[in-house]
Amino acid sequence: MSGDSQQLVNVVIDGKAIQAPPTLSVIQALWHAGYPRVKGVGCLEGVCGSCRVLVRRADEDGVKVELGCQTLVEDGMQAMFLVFPNPTHHHYRLSHIQNSWDLHAQFHRIFPEVANCRHCGGCTKGCPKNIDVERGVALASQGRFKEAGDLFVECIMCNICMTGCAEEIAPNHVGLFARRVTAYFHSRPSNLIHRLEQIRTGELTIEDHDSGQ
Amino acid sequence: MSQLNQVLFHENSRVGADLKAWESTIGAQGLSKALADTAAIIPMIEQAGLRGLGGSGFPTFKKWQFVAAQPNEQDKYLICNGNEDEPGTFKDRILLQEAPHQVIEGACVTALACGINRIIFYINPDQTESISSMQTAVAQWGDSEWFNKVERALGKPLEVRVMPSSGHYIGGEETAAIESVEGHFPFPRGKPPFPAESGVHGKPTLINNMETLSNVSHIVRNGAEWFRSLGLGEATGTKIYCLSGDVLYPGAYELPMGTPLSTLINEYGGGMLMDKKLKAVFTGGPSNTILTPKDLDVPLDYENVAARDSSLGTGAMIVISEGTGIVKRVAEYVNFFAHSSCGQCPPCKNGTFYAAQLLTRIDTGRGSRADLHALKNLCNMLPGAGRCHMLDGAMKVLTSSMQHFMHEYEQAVDR
Amino acid sequence: MGSKSISYEQALADYRVEAERPLIEQHDNKEALLSAYHPDYRADTMTTLKVGPNSGDQCHRQVAASIQADARIDEADLAGASVVETDVLVIGGGGAGCAAALVAAVAGARVILATKLRLGDSNTVMAEGGIQASIDKNDTPQMHYDDTLAAGHGYGDRSLVAQMVMDGPDVIRWLIQQGMQFDTDEFGDLLTRRAGGTSANRVCYYRDYTGLEMMRSLREAVRNSDAEVWEYSPVVELMVNEQGHCAGAVISNLKDCSYVQVIAKSVILATGGIGRMHLNDFPTSNHFGATGDGLVLAYRLGAKLRDLDSFQYHPTGLAHPHHLAGTLITEGVRSAGTWLLNGNGERFVDELKPRDVVAAAILKECAEGRGIHTNDGAQGVWLDTPGLELRNPGILKQRFPKLLNLGKKAGIDPHTSPLLIYPTLHYQNGGVAINENGETTVPGLYCVGEASGGIHGKNRIMGNALLEIISFGRRAGAHAAERRSLRGHKRVSIDHLSRLRRELTISNMPMETKGPMLFPVCAKFDDDVDYEGLRRNRRK
Repeated sequence: MSGDSQQLVNVVIDGKAIQAPPTLSVIQALWHAGYPRVKGVGCLEGVCGSCRVLVRRADEDGVKVELGCQTLVEDGMQAMFLVFPNPTHHHYRLSHIQNSWDLHAQFHRIFPEVANCRHCGGCTKGCPKNIDVERGVALASQGRFKEAGDLFVECIMCNICMTGCAEEIAPNHVGLFARRVTAYFHSRPSNLIHRLEQIRTGELTIEDHDSGQ
Repeated sequence: MSQLNQVLFHENSRVGADLKAWESTIGAQGLSKALADTAAIIPMIEQAGLRGLGGSGFPTFKKWQFVAAQPNEQDKYLICNGNEDEPGTFKDRILLQEAPHQVIEGACVTALACGINRIIFYINPDQTESISSMQTAVAQWGDSEWFNKVERALGKPLEVRVMPSSGHYIGGEETAAIESVEGHFPFPRGKPPFPAESGVHGKPTLINNMETLSNVSHIVRNGAEWFRSLGLGEATGTKIYCLSGDVLYPGAYELPMGTPLSTLINEYGGGMLMDKKLKAVFTGGPSNTILTPKDLDVPLDYENVAARDSSLGTGAMIVISEGTGIVKRVAEYVNFFAHSSCGQCPPCKNGTFYAAQLLTRIDTGRGSRADLHALKNLCNMLPGAGRCHMLDGAMKVLTSSMQHFMHEYEQAVDR
Repeated sequence: MGSKSISYEQALADYRVEAERPLIEQHDNKEALLSAYHPDYRADTMTTLKVGPNSGDQCHRQVAASIQADARIDEADLAGASVVETDVLVIGGGGAGCAAALVAAVAGARVILATKLRLGDSNTVMAEGGIQASIDKNDTPQMHYDDTLAAGHGYGDRSLVAQMVMDGPDVIRWLIQQGMQFDTDEFGDLLTRRAGGTSANRVCYYRDYTGLEMMRSLREAVRNSDAEVWEYSPVVELMVNEQGHCAGAVISNLKDCSYVQVIAKSVILATGGIGRMHLNDFPTSNHFGATGDGLVLAYRLGAKLRDLDSFQYHPTGLAHPHHLAGTLITEGVRSAGTWLLNGNGERFVDELKPRDVVAAAILKECAEGRGIHTNDGAQGVWLDTPGLELRNPGILKQRFPKLLNLGKKAGIDPHTSPLLIYPTLHYQNGGVAINENGETTVPGLYCVGEASGGIHGKNRIMGNALLEIISFGRRAGAHAAERRSLRGHKRVSIDHLSRLRRELTISNMPMETKGPMLFPVCAKFDDDVDYEGLRRNRRK
């Protein structure tokens, strides 16, 4: 089979020199070479944010933070996994915010660092989903939670913006806060409420008959 | 003659914020000479071999020539850099509190040499006494005739002000200082353009360390030969060494440039505390390669320290004895860098943050061989990934600590 | 299989986009096709269970090997292991586990949630389609009930299904209260769309990111609740009290390679599915952690399982390039009218037939040499996206942005090039048998989500998985929290392992395999020196 002649690339992953076909992701290349890898592996589809890797390419000066399941190996590439816990220090419960008029003030109480944003752009630059993170934080800071939250639709909570934030703002949690309060305070679907009422009053029930199969 | 405190820390220089007292000793003598022949200043600085004493060691006259060569009919800026924030460095505060006129006069001479008319004393905001001492001193100069004389010689309006810096470590970097002076957050800029061409508000800008500037009036007053003769061996002038850590008498010592490390520690520092064995010395930053006991003979000047693959840096010497954990120290310093990273470059902030977490974990006995391995990988991958040199400095101290003290790291993960 | 098939390069060179193609095969004899080619129906994939509460039942070969495997630990491994007590121990950090933990914590119970990887690492986060709830005015819970049972070929548990469909609207309300967004119309009413094989628009969704949106809201809610979260903490064994009831679990801490014994009044298994067992070597759309640990643990403790001969193979998993193999291509692409073509460019099946039929037809093409193979050993058939685009210009961009994104990652433009697809192992239809509260047949042990069985019978409709995890997650959490008033266990042990080992020995079962498997084979967990500390006694 022609598979044997397929060209291989040389990469260094977590300090291990590896030869692998260029069709493999960083994680797969590591497995392909026979190395175990458990931590930092998740959905393998780029939506869970587990597999953060630092990547340095042969033809580039800089180092990037990317997702190991989405980054294909290239010749001369160096990569290493960033596996560390980084719980945010921000705590809040939606049920403790009694009044949505109070939301803006509460937001700044929960995320006081947002006022210190130095607009360095590091969060936006680092985002593997190309979200305009910095703008989202700015919008949330102005109380424009719906707009802010809409920017974070594709956020996978990989925390790269959080560990990359010099002011410890936790931008992804800001984005998630913006999204959650939008649902919690403003989503009141009348079709859902009507159906809940029909169930509560017993108007709709299940009759157990043979379903015909 | 004692080799200690010959120039900058000499009692003639440390007269406090009173301009009259300064004038009654050696004050304004250098400036008078400079006013008489401004064209002679740069050649004299070149001959003297004055270098950037903030850590770069870059020949001072070269920087000045670039700025002097820019057209004169525009504003030019001088930022007198007193951001001093790195662990183990505490010389600027002494210079600014006890000898403010020395640096003001040096700045005036510098301005004359380069055609600079806007002078900014850029000082760490946490050093409130430095700021108030400088404010008092600058006000007295304003009331005297000296600024007028400088202004006339320049042929354009002179502005001198004292400005607190942001207090961020990164604000000491040249281009970051420019951002700060412009009223922005001190983010380092990419180079080129170099500040000499386009700095504050796009104008030619010179940035010198407080210690460098403090030397200028003395050189003009006493001549280049005098300055050269102060140094030992090939080195010129003096250097303020900030000695700290496990020595009997820590402190700031002005000594001939090129004084051996052993002399600094044993003669001036009074030897190791409780006669413990020397283990390591973190130099200037502490973002350089660690010196070890085999380096005790090294003359502390730029070339000789560089020959040991390290750097003199700011002249800070943090001395560590047996009994102090290297991992703990390095964790502390890398943590400092992680917190100081400005955020612009994701690999810098994420990388130092990760390194700090790994180090803390290892130091507190929760680390594994895998963590050690990860640290090594970081050291291999990260250097050069940041816009400024901060990340490189952090990785340098980490790398050298692992080179020299791997057994301590291994002990920490195996316990 | 597929040895005579056509090479990828050849097939791509031969491929022409065409506006019309005849359907060459009707597959009217569904039963014959399924029994010949569908993995669930093939006699060689099944075996009979020899030990445990389901002895005598038919079960998938690999699953059987796994649930009849020896345990990972001996009592000696627990020497020096610390002991922690709690009211409710939730095992699994996906949607079901989070819902259970949240509800139990709000009810006032002490809750520990232990998860193998990180909180939220689960199949939930990958669910694209949506969540079923009967809300539309043309829909009723009764129709939802009928659809669910019919799809499951009548094997579903009627009372569980009835309860779940009645829960549907309240589940949506609860999710909104956790901060989850749904797509709505201009008046703020929930939008719904129709799933294959159902009689009304019933799937509520948030774009193509329903699972992601649900998971990140729930994770944030759990993080901010009183529940304690233990990450990188796979459970290796359950524990029993003197009566044989579930009394806790042994958790391995991957960070410091130690074991912790958690003594709990209730244990809720929410460990998800089995995709990463790669049944019959199928690729999977599942998360890295989907290794069926819950099935193994529950079965050993004596919990009854059901429908373990039934799995869902989604017909359209991407087969090439290698690094994206198994990635799901949403059913919507087929329902929009995209054809499936074999290596000769022929339409070999009506693409809108049920999932199992389409999957079996693809397998048949490959088996009979009309499939397409790649250099790295993958095989499949074409998903003719250029043909769809030709007949409906602009449709890919407008309706399937995520597919285009996938194409970008694959380096293939679906506008001009067809995609190689192959059935992908998607869902475990059966699981641990439960009652309305999520209780298994072992007192003190609950099971919720994909690990449990009974809702979907032998086949699941799209959107019922997300509903099930929240509906039963909440119920189990609430019920388990009530058990906190029970008196504590007198004696807690892993004595049930002796019974297991006796049974295995008597039945002449192989003892080499250890379970639960914890991580997919490719990750080589058992060779990883970083985790040597967890294997102290096994190496002797």
